[in-house]
Amino acid sequence: MTIIFAAALGLVMGVVFGFALEKSRVIDPETIIGQFQLKNFIMLKVFLTAIATGLLVFSLFFYLGFDRLSWKTTAIGSDVIGGLLLGIGVALAGACPGTVFAQIGAGYRDSLMTLAGAIIGAIVYAQTKPFFQTILSLQWPSQKLTIDHFLGCPFWVAALALFCIIVGVLILLEKYRPWKKEVISLSTKDKDL
Amino acid sequence: MLYRRVWSPYVAGIVIGLLQIPVFLILGASLGTSGSFGSVACWILGKGGDAGCFPLLKNWWQLGLVVGIGLGAYLSRRLSGVIRKPVSPLWTKVLKTSALRPRFIMAFCGGFLFLFGARLADGCTSGNGISGIALLSVGSFIVIASMFLGGILISRLYPKG
Repeated sequence: MTIIFAAALGLVMGVVFGFALEKSRVIDPETIIGQFQLKNFIMLKVFLTAIATGLLVFSLFFYLGFDRLSWKTTAIGSDVIGGLLLGIGVALAGACPGTVFAQIGAGYRDSLMTLAGAIIGAIVYAQTKPFFQTILSLQWPSQKLTIDHFLGCPFWVAALALFCIIVGVLILLEKYRPWKKEVISLSTKDKDL
Repeated sequence: MLYRRVWSPYVAGIVIGLLQIPVFLILGASLGTSGSFGSVACWILGKGGDAGCFPLLKNWWQLGLVVGIGLGAYLSRRLSGVIRKPVSPLWTKVLKTSALRPRFIMAFCGGFLFLFGARLADGCTSGNGISGIALLSVGSFIVIASMFLGGILISRLYPKG
């Protein structure tokens, strides 16, 4: 596969991703901070629906015999510390590493500073990685720790179980927090959604 | 649909989740965005396959993806005519000033921390969240729980209004 093909395919998929992010208003700081303050659940709805869809997609692929290609190593130290820093950064920036690009496209000026900070963060991480890895890499005995291996069942069984739980949560969320009442308003035109 | 001002979060989530199909079948990967920053850092530092860097070639699709996200969001808002303020009014409430400099510093720090954290945790909201959890990785559940904890703790300091 050529570089150009890979980049072009990424670009096309990114445009679709960007549309979904902008239209759902999950890129707006009010939505993200509102989620962290537990008063707006749009972010969780998008997030859980994407996960639920992915669970079905991967169940089908692995059932058909495709190999699991990407494994995330479980390392408690760096997972907890990294996750906390990620969350603190998201709350300060009002964006995630992916949505910052959508924010720039949607017209937020301060997102350019978020992007600059993120690039510097990546450079500093690249320079200090050996130091942090030594301290934080408390590896789990198994490198490939996944729920299905843990339970000793096929992927699709565990995935469908989680899918059902997520759908249940989404139904309850929608019942008590209808999304149309939660979408943040950006202008007076948004009154008649 | 493309001219709509708003999509339901469920439609948006399904669209994002379905992107796993081409990413998996054509690229043999899963959806993620923070790795692209690693590639750029690698390129700026001129490093090889160590120190948090990985080959640029392998990550060209992710660079295309993040540029596409910006382009997609731009096209989306142009088609629907949604106009946003240059800085969200939320930050004026949080910082109690509409001056730009404090917000720019805050945004810079936020970007630094979320990317450093994402590299340490080996993925962000998309890599660990949307992909890692859908692949049932235990580590991803830990990262995302920690992410929500960090975000909730900071957002408690903000006004509730």
